[in-house]
Amino acid sequence: MAALSWIKRLDLQRSVIYFGFLAIFLFFAATLHDDGFLTTRNLTNIVLQTAPATIMAIGLVFALSAGEIDLSFGSIVAVSALAAAVAMQNGPMVFGVIAGLGAGVLIGAFNGVLVAYLRLPSFLVTLATLGLFAGIARSMTDLRSIPVINDTFTGFFGSGKLLGVPSLVIWTVAAVAAGHVLYRHSRFGAHVLAVGDNARAAQVSGIKVPRIRLMVLTLCGATAGLAGLLYAGRLQAAKYTLGESDLMTVIAAVIVGGTALNGGKGSIIGALLGSLMMGMLNNGLILMGLKVSDQMIVRGVIILVAVAVSLRDTRR
Amino acid sequence: MTATPVLSLNNIHKAFGGVVAIKDFSLELFPGEIVALVGDNGAGKSTLIAIVSGLHRPNSGEILLDGETVSLSDASSARSRGIEVVYQDLALADEQPVFMNMFLGRELTRKPLGLLDKSRMRRETQTMLDQLDVHIPSAGSKIRDLSGGQRQGVAIARATHWASKLILLDEPTAALGVAETAKVEEIVAALKERNLAILIVSHSLDQVFRLSDRICVLRRGVQIGVRSTPETDKNEIVSMITGVHA
Amino acid sequence: MSLVKHTLAILALLGLVASAGAETIGPGGEEATPSSTVVVGDEKVAMVQAKRYSAALLWHDQSDFVNAVTAGASDEFERLGIEVVAVTSAGFDAAKQRSDIETALAKNPDIILSLPLDPVTSAAAFEEAKEAGVALTFLSNLPAGYEHPKDYAAIVTDDLFQMGKQAADALAEAMGGEGTVGWIFHDAAYYVTNQRDNAFKTTIENDHPNISIVAEQGIADPARAEEIANAMLLKHPDLGGIYVTWAGPAEGVLAALRANGNDSTKIVTLDLSEPIALDMVRGGNVAAIVADEAYELGRAMAASAVLDLVGEEVPPFVVAPAITVKAANVVEGWKRSLNIDPPASLTSN
Repeated sequence: MAALSWIKRLDLQRSVIYFGFLAIFLFFAATLHDDGFLTTRNLTNIVLQTAPATIMAIGLVFALSAGEIDLSFGSIVAVSALAAAVAMQNGPMVFGVIAGLGAGVLIGAFNGVLVAYLRLPSFLVTLATLGLFAGIARSMTDLRSIPVINDTFTGFFGSGKLLGVPSLVIWTVAAVAAGHVLYRHSRFGAHVLAVGDNARAAQVSGIKVPRIRLMVLTLCGATAGLAGLLYAGRLQAAKYTLGESDLMTVIAAVIVGGTALNGGKGSIIGALLGSLMMGMLNNGLILMGLKVSDQMIVRGVIILVAVAVSLRDTRR
Repeated sequence: MTATPVLSLNNIHKAFGGVVAIKDFSLELFPGEIVALVGDNGAGKSTLIAIVSGLHRPNSGEILLDGETVSLSDASSARSRGIEVVYQDLALADEQPVFMNMFLGRELTRKPLGLLDKSRMRRETQTMLDQLDVHIPSAGSKIRDLSGGQRQGVAIARATHWASKLILLDEPTAALGVAETAKVEEIVAALKERNLAILIVSHSLDQVFRLSDRICVLRRGVQIGVRSTPETDKNEIVSMITGVHA
Repeated sequence: MSLVKHTLAILALLGLVASAGAETIGPGGEEATPSSTVVVGDEKVAMVQAKRYSAALLWHDQSDFVNAVTAGASDEFERLGIEVVAVTSAGFDAAKQRSDIETALAKNPDIILSLPLDPVTSAAAFEEAKEAGVALTFLSNLPAGYEHPKDYAAIVTDDLFQMGKQAADALAEAMGGEGTVGWIFHDAAYYVTNQRDNAFKTTIENDHPNISIVAEQGIADPARAEEIANAMLLKHPDLGGIYVTWAGPAEGVLAALRANGNDSTKIVTLDLSEPIALDMVRGGNVAAIVADEAYELGRAMAASAVLDLVGEEVPPFVVAPAITVKAANVVEGWKRSLNIDPPASLTSN
């Protein structure tokens, strides 16, 4: 009986990603079992490769659920990674962490103040700050890449392991768990959903709507900042192009994962699966030995179908 | 009447810029009483609701709750004093379950982590709905899966759950069919037993006569008069609303 | 220790960019070896075929150029019985390049041909492949701190200095040896474009005394080329010629000249592109295009990797020749550079 109600609660909108994820996994497992797809190393690689996108996706689920969007995280990643790398040129790891996360939080809060208190549409604000901070990332180091040679940092955020588990896997699991609890089981999460669902209802219920808007965009900045640290750790360097190409991947992952574009509804676990699905597609299509243009076409079609199916279900 | 009025409005005056919305309005509401506020569009009903719910502040006049002068600076201060509003648009979040709407902005949490206590919210919601005889599939249903009457029921149940003194109902049945209207009226009538005061705004005079104990008529911001429902009739009220004597 | 190596490599690279000499030199100051000397002889073919090697091609982006390099490498691999097991494009994303390498390693290739996006970010990215003992041949760029022959087989690139020099000579010829020139260079620390751009500038300054560079403008985003050219023409309406760092932005510059009704300012650029060549064969603004032999680059990369695998000595820095393509030799130039016939539009009129 309890199990039955559980299945009912796991309603169709969210199950799209479960089925899609499983279908793609089984397809690659069947066709690529001789090509290393199912090896532990390859499957671990997929999680490592998607870790920054997954973490950005968590921030975006909150923003979209509150009826806002953040397009600027692509350039926040680069600014944060560069800030961390520069800070660690002359200082210990903690400087890098503070600089990287701090940059993300500050930029997110900047977006948030413009959206929450000046009531500018977040789409336009973050589109503008996407360009603004992409420019700042370019000028910060004159387009130069900055190496990160702090072994503690690269271990903690990149190639290190704890009890045999790669640090990026730990970051992913921790961020998803924290994100899920915050989203589904905290008052903040409930208020975020209420604001995105019906801002007036939220306001007359005593929820401080502008504060929620400020906080979701700040959270987006923070997750992009963390993603920047992970990139810097993984590449042992920071570059102005980091994160640029993640924008579409992350948005697609979040939408495929069952988060509504117009607010009030979403899933952190879905976003994780969406992000892993994107990584699995990249990985599997390469292992299939397809030409690059064919990889892009197949990936594009699959994402299109997945997004169409999930939006058909999440739309009211 | 011997009891202290729950709400007293004394000489309330409200103007927006040069436009007078409410002129010298006074009214008392007693526990267990339903008072209807009627008037044409633009008569000032919404402004009055907004003043009592703390969204607008009057330019002059005083508001007394249980005989005590209060200043209602915003919606929260009205709510914290036991005044609940059922807005015409219901102010429900469609994608969220019923129990989260019941506790919207006032979610119950559990120690030590301060996480949501969903099972308790579910339980209390179900109890409230059962008491008011509001039938919905489950406290976990999403609002968008409910009918108009069920939504209205949820909104009223929410107000009832939180109100200790006064519920304002703004056009509670405007969007409902005949059967659903009857059901909602039943629910509203039952609220009298809870010793709450109810101020209802309605366009339907039939409904006003079915539900209310007294009727207060507004016309262009001016209080035309208050009648005891059993002692008046529709013709009198219509002529008060329109200003045309039959 | 690794800090010192990193720093040295970067300093070396910066120094190199700043003081581009008269010859193409490698990122570590290596002397250039012509690609024609890097050959897997027929006598070795059977032996290599028997080893059944596999290769992965991990490119930075997609273009005609990459296709031609891929074709050159693939043909050479086929001759040697080597299977290409993965082809990727990182779209200029350093993180994607790292992921592509990891993914390709799941297929255990013996050879990786790649263009490292930049020395700093690629050092960690190729680490795993390096440790696994894969024969690495790099196109144009070298991960910081990598040492020859321990860590990689070879770097293969264009004859960068020749490309810039030939562009300067072709533009000078088209301008009759005198006039003013605008120089649109790639505004990024990328040693390939930097050497080509600087070789152009050096050649104009040293070899063409009656030509002066009156306007210099860096470009980082090819999409902004048209605006940049417009601004340049506004200040210098009588420019005799414009050098554009590669064909993509040159298309924008051409659009700006056309919009201004300017048919006197000559353009030279690097790398073949159909719209640019079409303007050239129709007698428009484009005077010449200097191209590299991309197909030959691919062949030489494949050959270097194979020679490394069979234990032969491979020169660290291999360059493929440059060719100047003008209206008269467009068919031949296209074939030599990209190993395909030029698009029909270029030969139909």
